[in-house]
Amino acid sequence: MKRSPHMFRFSNWVVALAIMLATDTIAAPPVFEIEIRNHLFQPDVLTVPANTKVKLIVYNRDSTPEEFESYELNREKVIMGGRKAIIFIGPLAPGEYPFFGEFNPNTALGKVIVKDGNDAGK
Amino acid sequence: MLVNSVVIVLREVLEAALMISVLLAISRFLGSSARWVAVALTLGLLGAAAYGFFLDPVSEFFDGVGQELLNAFLQFALCGVLAVIVFLIARQHREPREHDPVLPVLMAAAVVLAITREGSEVLIYVTGFVQINNFLSSVGLGSIAGASIGFSIGVLFYYLLLALPKRRMLMISLVLLSLTAAGMAAQATRLLIQADWLSAAGALWNTSGVLPEDSLPGQLLYALIGYEATPSAIEVGFYAASLAVMATSICVGWAICGNRTASPQ
Repeated sequence: MKRSPHMFRFSNWVVALAIMLATDTIAAPPVFEIEIRNHLFQPDVLTVPANTKVKLIVYNRDSTPEEFESYELNREKVIMGGRKAIIFIGPLAPGEYPFFGEFNPNTALGKVIVKDGNDAGK
Repeated sequence: MLVNSVVIVLREVLEAALMISVLLAISRFLGSSARWVAVALTLGLLGAAAYGFFLDPVSEFFDGVGQELLNAFLQFALCGVLAVIVFLIARQHREPREHDPVLPVLMAAAVVLAITREGSEVLIYVTGFVQINNFLSSVGLGSIAGASIGFSIGVLFYYLLLALPKRRMLMISLVLLSLTAAGMAAQATRLLIQADWLSAAGALWNTSGVLPEDSLPGQLLYALIGYEATPSAIEVGFYAASLAVMATSICVGWAICGNRTASPQ
């Protein structure tokens, strides 16, 4: 079967659309990193953009396990000693979202501050 | 440290303890043996130890979200087992079968699934901090106290259920198991969102002002019916869907039981 120029144009559109979709899904969420040292979060305040999904990497530099937990963020994850954990959070409305280390709730305290577009990262 | 240990262990134990009390009360009501509990507790602790031991490699699976996926799988499996359990209970609510071989096995399976997940966290906590000498006494004592309080609440709940009129006790137990299952489904959904396998928009509502999740009633309701102060639409959807499945399962079982007892008359 001979392809008509019309079909060609159509397939080009399909390819263009596929590339658009692919790049959109590949566009990874912004990454934020925090550490746990001596049962403290470093940094203990994290500013992230509003209405955006964010990839949080938590490095546990202690030898003891910790559980990253937040009622406000609805997150809970055990991180073994010397390991890291990947936790996706958001998209969130502007505001403050406290988190804590469940195994050391007196010291391991922190919060995520969610700010609108241009203020984020400051 | 002592109070922290009590709270951590209590939180994990409570959920399993409440479910075990309901299942035990039903066992008692149906007049079947409760021997399955001992087997289930043993297997559950073995499961928890295995999970705790392998948590490190498991966490690395699927680009670092293996922990969420395995926990969600355990929750959904528990949800499914509970759906069959309520069906079997409703099917024999009028005339308990002498030796129903399936129900005790499923009840044991539910308890094993619950303890594997909750118990692993307790074991990781206790083994992680017991190595440090000066923490040994408070972590050890606190954990024992937390487990004991959880166990006591379970026992209390068990006798509370048995003290109810029999018919009502069965209905309440079935409703509680349905809510527990729905709570599990919502928790599993939350884990899939955390793993970025599901996407969620913001919270549908916020009841943390009225009933904070970290308050005592909040924690009790979380353990019993999966209370969540700021659920997203997808969590609410899964909660409602699993409630619908549980309700259907109960109604079908109830209807079959009615037909069976009605026909010979």
